[in-house]
This record gives sequence, structure tokens and C-alpha cells, in this order.
Amino acid sequence: MTTPAEDIEDTDPGMARERTELAWTRTAVSFAALGGVILRGHPYAGIPILGVSALIWQLGRLAGAPGAGRSRPRRLLLIAVAVTGVSLAALALTLIGPESGGLRI
Amino acid sequence: MPRLSRTRRGRTNASRHQDPAGAAESADGTEPDARFTLANERTFLAWSRTALALVIAGLAIVQLLPPFPGVPWGRHIIGTPLILLGSAVAVISYLEWTGNQRALRRGEPMARSRLPGILAVTIAIIGLVAAALALVSGGTGN
Repeated sequence: MTTPAEDIEDTDPGMARERTELAWTRTAVSFAALGGVILRGHPYAGIPILGVSALIWQLGRLAGAPGAGRSRPRRLLLIAVAVTGVSLAALALTLIGPESGGLRI
Repeated sequence: MPRLSRTRRGRTNASRHQDPAGAAESADGTEPDARFTLANERTFLAWSRTALALVIAGLAIVQLLPPFPGVPWGRHIIGTPLILLGSAVAVISYLEWTGNQRALRRGEPMARSRLPGILAVTIAIIGLVAAALALVSGGTGN
């Protein structure tokens, strides 16, 4: 129909910023889902994960800001460290945690 | 040469938008088009979610699945590799993000990602182990 004005195209070409913000939001929601599930059984593990989720949500709102390139490696390192930390905690739980009888459905 | 490699990847349209004033020259290459940086970032975030899903799946298998009758370590045999795979994907995706960003700055061709291969092979092995376990354990034990 109508072509977008030139200045709109320039501020967010290909909607790249918005798509990246949405990708951050999806990542935050993934962490929130994990934290929410763990919160029931292990509140002390669930609360930090929910905290990380909130932090990722906030970082995602900054992700699209122009000139945010300097802090990018640190923000992405936070995600990598958080996922690795969660997986190491999960590994410890499966190897040395209490034996689970399984969920009876 | 850098322009050539981008052309081969079908990014000629994008380089048109590159702002020469915003392209800060430095010792470590040129700041790439923001869209390349953001696409690289999205790829990393997508791999991170994959890693998180693998960890959740492994944890769910060990904690929620009823034990395999006759195979007491059956759940751990499937679940632990999934958690380790999630951990590996998280670390490798960060290293690949760093490498891709460096390649973008220098205008070099990007290295091919090793993650799809690692993911496919590991999940195939886990699938075969799970199938063997399902056959060996024999029924639901009701």
C-alpha cells in the first residue's frame, strides 16, 4: 500500500532493532518459565533465576538503543554465564540430588 | 574482497544503508552495519534459548519421569547428556558470537557454525539410547 517514509526506514532498517528486542524478551520469558517451575520445589534456586529473567528483560529494552554497542559483549556474556550456571546447577541436582520417584500423572 | 564476500552472502542491499560517518575505523576493523550486529545477537539469543530448553528437558527427565523398571540409572543416562549438551551450546554459542562479530568487523567470511552438527549428532545418540532403554526396560511396570 503506502511505502514507509525514508526516515522510518533509516531509524530501524529491516525492523532489526525491534526483532532483537523481541528476541531478548523471548529469552527473558524462557528464564521466567524455568524460574517459575523451579520455584515450587526449590525456592532458593527459583528466585535467582527469576531475578536473572528480570535483568534480561531490562537489558532487552536497552538492546535496540543506538550506540549500545560498547556494553554488548558484557550483556551477552551474562546470558552465556546464566545458562551455563543453570545447567551446572541442574547437573549437580541430577547427580547428587535426592532420587525422585517421578511425577505420577 | 570484504565487499565480495558480503555479496556472495546476499547482503548487497544491506551495505547500501551503511553510514560512512558512523563507521568508526579502528585497529580491529570497521564497526559493521548495525543490522549485522543485531542479527548476530539474535542468533546467539536463539542458541541460548535452545541451551536452556535442553537443560530443562534433561532436568525434567531426571526429576519428573517415573523410573525405568529394571534400569535404575536409566533416567540419568538420558537426562545428564541433555544437560551437558545445554551447557556446551551456551558456551559455544558465545564463542561463535565473538568470532562472528570479529569477522563482521574485519569483513572476513564467517566461519561455518559447528553447533547444528553437534546438536544433531548428540540428540541422535540420545534418541538411540532412549529407544534402547525403552526396549530393555520392558513396559511401564504396572
